[in-house]
Formats: sequence, structure tokens, C-alpha cells
Amino acid sequence: MDSIHDQACIVGIGHTEYSRDSGRSELKLACEAISAALADAGLTPADVDGIAKYTMDNNDVVDIARALGIPQLRFFGEVAYGGGGGPVGTVMLAAMAVATGQAKAVIAFRAMNERSCRGTPRFGQAGTAPGASGLHSYLGPYGLFSPAQMVGLAARRHMHLYGTESQHFGAIAVTCRHHANLNPNAMMYGRPMTLEDHQNSRMISDPVRLLDCCLETDGGAAIIVTTRERARDMCQRPVHIAAGGLGAGAWNHRSIVKDVDSPASESTVIAQRIFKDAGITHDDIDALYIYDHFTPLVLMALEDYGFCKRGEGKDFVGDGSRFRWPHGGLPLNTSGGNLSEGYMHGMQNTIEAVRQLRGTARCQVKDARHAFVSSGNAVPTSAMILRSDA
Amino acid sequence: MSNHNAPAFPYPIPEYGTEPYWAACNEERLVMQRCASCGQFRWQPAPICIHCQADGFTWSPLSGRGRIYTWTVVTHPIHPAAVAKVPYVVVEVELEEQAGLRMLSNLVDANLADIVFDAPVIVGFDRHPAGQLLPIFRLARP
Repeated sequence: MDSIHDQACIVGIGHTEYSRDSGRSELKLACEAISAALADAGLTPADVDGIAKYTMDNNDVVDIARALGIPQLRFFGEVAYGGGGGPVGTVMLAAMAVATGQAKAVIAFRAMNERSCRGTPRFGQAGTAPGASGLHSYLGPYGLFSPAQMVGLAARRHMHLYGTESQHFGAIAVTCRHHANLNPNAMMYGRPMTLEDHQNSRMISDPVRLLDCCLETDGGAAIIVTTRERARDMCQRPVHIAAGGLGAGAWNHRSIVKDVDSPASESTVIAQRIFKDAGITHDDIDALYIYDHFTPLVLMALEDYGFCKRGEGKDFVGDGSRFRWPHGGLPLNTSGGNLSEGYMHGMQNTIEAVRQLRGTARCQVKDARHAFVSSGNAVPTSAMILRSDA
Repeated sequence: MSNHNAPAFPYPIPEYGTEPYWAACNEERLVMQRCASCGQFRWQPAPICIHCQADGFTWSPLSGRGRIYTWTVVTHPIHPAAVAKVPYVVVEVELEEQAGLRMLSNLVDANLADIVFDAPVIVGFDRHPAGQLLPIFRLARP
């Protein structure tokens, strides 16, 4: 085994509703999402023996095992930078655990009350401690707090170097909203958006506008990973992890501003291996699940993962029509993404990729065989290629 | 003295390894760790050189001159102190001493229309209400 290629499958998916105020604890949200994923797979808590979580998730692994009645755990791990690095990173941890025989079946999950701020602080707000230490002692005194502000710095530079314009960012936002309006579970269902709406939305941290930013959400989402052999006995058609990886580099020094001048990035580290490991090319991808925390970073991810060259993101994105189901050739975030379905730190995109490859998505791509799924870029990240059949 | 009831952005808490940076700022000097082996500067203090991994360094002065690498105009206040400050400019400055040596700060006293890439800037020092002097930048007059 020299890569994770075809060693593990996703066999269960589950989530709660996505809302602005869940009205229940983060532990309850996690248990609901995980129970739904187990039921989807046809498994009971006794059938799983591993948990992979986001570092930022407030839920304790043993609390979850106790609450669900998981009799024993043989694997538990957290993915650093989860956060945005979690929606694939947790699945990769789970895949490695089952592929090496350390566990039989592993839960990957994310649950938070991020919008109602009951447990998890709102990411779009600054803390109000009087002093800042560590990295933040160099940022907070200048009023630099939020990811949106840091993306503003990187996006401005990208526009300068490559001629990218706000309307290209808008095309991504409009695409995700289009898909959310076909998904009744999306927070932005019934709230259509035009490019004009995007261009008229208020500036948050120039050039980042309100509608370039993801939502803030309460909810839970979970995935079950097991081996290819065990997957054959499950309820659902297995979705195979064709390849995957984690990536970071020296340019990620402390993750302040994405270095758009460097030809290398956290994503290029991964791109170098996963298409080779999966034995496919970019042209074989039928649906894209690019982590959409901020629209400029989606455009940069498309470049860094090699769907187009660095600096050609603006032309690749164009008016976004190529990304819009049903007529676009490369549908993007077909349930609405972090931008318009709900912000489960990307786990909702991973779930939708699985639906797409099972053939059960609302915005179903005919005969979809390969999906590309990424975690959040501009921090150490992860990405994988999923396949519908072995 | 400042109005202690007015909200303020957080002040920097000098920590092990960062005290000399902030102490120099209080003397209106911009200093950074400079590797004793390869001579490269680093903005944020680091335990060893991020370029060559050598241990030794000196706290070395910089001219405070640089150019605008990128910037963002913050218009949406997410901190109580930001309400009275927006719009404010967060700037990333590339310092003249070394290619790629960049630091984050505020650009103050600038008309937004005058901010362009590669514009020359020069450091100044603004007092945080809690007393610490913070390095900030202004557009350099030709």
C-alpha cells in the first residue's frame, strides 16, 4: 500500500437541519447527525470503533461514545486546522484508520452552534479580550481579526497580479445560491441571488463583499467510513475514496495571508499526488466540491488544484455558468455549499458529494463517477477524489 | 490621557521572545530578529531562523521604509472599537531590507484613492490607549 487509493469507502451520511439557532446542545447535534449516518449505513453504535473529529469541535470523543453507546473505541484522532481543514481531513484520518486495520468503522463528524453562539463563538465576530497574545498580538491591535479581512488582503493581491474582478467572485456566489434554491434543506432556499445582488451587497473588507462570505450555522453533519470489504455488506452503495491527502508548506507560516505570489500552496502539495493516486485526470471529474468559505478562495483553489493555471481562474470561472446544474459541464457545490446551504465547516459538501456518487442528489449529474472534494484553503488543508464504483 | 471608557482594539501582550520587539516600539524603533548565520530578518519572533534553522540572532533595526504589498479597507465593524474606526486600512508592507519580508499593520492618514500597489510607505508609531506604541505606516511623501 503506497497510498490510500481504494482502501476505504464512505458508507453512511447524516445531518441535522441547518439553522440560525438549533435550540439544543452541540452534543445533541453531534449525536443526531451520527445516528442518522449510522442508520443510513445500516450500522449500530456497536459496529463502529473509531471517531475522527475537527480540532475546533467542542464535543469530547468519549462524551460522544458514551452518549451513543459505542462500547469500545480503538481509534480517535483530530485533524489540525479543523476548522476548514476538517471536511476531508477527518475522512482521511478515518480512512487511514480502517485501511491499516486499527479500526473497523470510523465516524467523522462536525457539530456546532456557531450562529447562535451557544458553545462555539461566531467566526465572523471578534473576541473582546483587552489584550492579545501569540500570533494575535501582531494582528488584533490593528483591527485584523476575521478570516474575511485576511481574505480581503489576499484577494486584493490576486486581483492586482492577475486581473481578477469582483464579478468573478460573484459568479461563484450566484452558483452556490442557485443550487441552494434547489435544496429545501438549504438555509438560503427560497432566497435567489443575482450577480447584481452580489455587486450591490455591502463591502465587508474590500474587496470582500457580504455575499462573498459563507453563512454562519448551527447544526451537525457526520460520515461513516469503513473498509472496502466491509462496505459490500452495508445498506448503501459504497462511495470509494479513490485518493486523498493533506497538505501544508513553509508558505503557510502561521496562516496569516495566503501567499498568492508563490507558485506553491497548501493545495498544490495535494494536487501533485491525488490525481496520480486516483489514476485519473481533471477531465474525469464530474462534480466539484470546493470548500467555499469565501468566493476568492474558491477561485484560488481551482487554480491551485490544477483545474486551470494560476492566474487563469477569472477565465475559468467566467460567469459561472459551467458550474451550474443542470446545464454546466462541471457542477460546483450542488447543494449550495458553505455559502448558501449551511456552514458545517464543509462537511455538508462532503455529504453532498456522496449523494452525487450514489445517484441520489437533487441536482444529480447523470452517471456521475468522480467527485473532487476539498477542505478550506489558505490554511493547511486536505482534498480527496471520490468514486462511485471500484 | 486617553478615555478609558472608549472601546479599544486589544493591546499586544509581550510574551517570552516578543518583549524586545514591543520594548523597541515604545522607543519608536522598529526592530526584528536577524539571523546571526544567514542574516535574514523575520517579522514575528521565532525560536530558530525560518530560513536556515540557525539558533543565534540579534535584534536589528529596520529603516521603517517599505512598499505596499496588499491592503484591505475594513468597512464592517466586528469589534466594539471598530465601530468608530471604520473604514480603516489594514496593510501588508514589504520592507525594503529584504525581498519577502512583510508585516501587517495599519495604513493611517491616507485618502483611500491614493492607496496603490507598491506605493512607498514609512513607519510611524501610534499609542494604544493602554500605553503601548504600535508601529503603523503612512504613505511616504515623494
